Amino acid sequence: MIGLIKKDFLMLKGNFKTWLILLFVYIVMAFQESMSLAFLLPFMCVVTMLSTFSYDSYNKWDAYVCSLPDGRKNSVRAKYIATILLILVTVIITTILTIIIGYYRTKTINLESMGETIMGAIFATTLLQSIMYPAIYKFGVEKARIAIFIVVFGFALIGGVLSKYIDFESIIQGLAFLENYMMIIIPIIIVVMLYISYKISEAIYNRKEY
Amino acid sequence: MENILEVKKLSKKYTGFELKNISFELPKGMIMGFIGENGAGKTTTIKSILNIIGNYKGEVKIFGLDNKKNEREIKEDIGVVLDDMFFPEILLPKDINTIMKDVYKNWDSDLYFKYLRDFNLPKDKQIKTYSKGMRKKLEIAASLSHHPKLLILDEPTSGLDPIARNEVIDIFRDFIQNEECGVLLSSHITSDLEHIADYITFINDGEIILSKTKDELIEQYGIVKCTESEFKKVDKQDYIKYKKTKYECELLVENKNEFKKKYNVNTIDKISLEDLMVLMVKGEK
Repeated sequence: MIGLIKKDFLMLKGNFKTWLILLFVYIVMAFQESMSLAFLLPFMCVVTMLSTFSYDSYNKWDAYVCSLPDGRKNSVRAKYIATILLILVTVIITTILTIIIGYYRTKTINLESMGETIMGAIFATTLLQSIMYPAIYKFGVEKARIAIFIVVFGFALIGGVLSKYIDFESIIQGLAFLENYMMIIIPIIIVVMLYISYKISEAIYNRKEY
Repeated sequence: MENILEVKKLSKKYTGFELKNISFELPKGMIMGFIGENGAGKTTTIKSILNIIGNYKGEVKIFGLDNKKNEREIKEDIGVVLDDMFFPEILLPKDINTIMKDVYKNWDSDLYFKYLRDFNLPKDKQIKTYSKGMRKKLEIAASLSHHPKLLILDEPTSGLDPIARNEVIDIFRDFIQNEECGVLLSSHITSDLEHIADYITFINDGEIILSKTKDELIEQYGIVKCTESEFKKVDKQDYIKYKKTKYECELLVENKNEFKKKYNVNTIDKISLEDLMVLMVKGEK
């Protein structure tokens, strides 16, 4: 599996300049506003990982990988792990930069608010990954984009309709007591979400014929 | 003789196409040419053997082991070239070494780079800059660099110029020298198979219509060329297929010598694999 993880990283090395530009943008923005763009780099991980799916599909890599020892078993796993590793690396870079720049600007470090922002960024990114990857394995990169749009639009529509009948605000207020436990609840949600997403992707991939 | 590959009653159904009870055996130390027209079922058979496609009926044994139960173990010893399916073209050939040394236990980096040098393939250029022939050679290099015992190759010589084809054919020939290895090679370039194949397996419309040693084929099969009036005198059971051209009839016969005796014919043309394919597929009965 390590070989397959390396493959995805090697495919991304062409994006090095883009990453440097994004890093520069983040540093500039962080000097202005500190934390508001904390999601930028982790979010870009998922976006750039999508290009690896496109290359895989274009070169019919999936048929080839299924001919390798444990290829089918490890292919999906490697994609998820590569993405998570990439997200972790960018989160670490973002955190370090935020601490340095934040301290430079205010001479203080607000660990609590920084932790919440970073956690929010990881949640948003892994949520995107968890929804996108099974859709890509099922429909391919191009169709998955449309599928995601339909799903998001569908949810918004259903939410809009339901909001007429359900008082969401009072539900949210009712759940306010959870706020103190968010730093525990969110990581659990992230792990469960990724696990379910991975299992769905794996099931789709195992059934698929390339 | 011990078989390195056994396919028994392999069946797979798609809408509009079906593999029908495919069976053949490849003994150790042999090269099998797998021929058939486009869409005949060669790639589907190869993908089934490799479990790239599933839900097929039948049994596949490689090195005497079941290809599903012992998949990992078996695949460590198989080298594969698939038609138009390979590493993403954004990668460099040297990246393939970085990846594959963690995929195969026996990956031999020195051997891989030796093949790259022998095939004149630059290791630092993106695969997308390679010509079709260079990509094919790269696929072949990657398929050979973990010291496999069985090569399963789908159209490995397509896109190669005659010199490169000869180079590759020599490599396959060397590969089986130790008598412990085997090659299943599908190809449209039947002349290549005439040079190296020990066995020929012919698939047509999802069915194996012939699986014999090449020597048997060349010694026994033949093409009888005759006029239409001579053709009318030939019993139907004495030929497999026939084809009428403007001036003559061509009959594919399974036993040259018997035909010679029965019809008092002096010469029967030797058959080429290409003639055999054309007559088998396009000929009439």
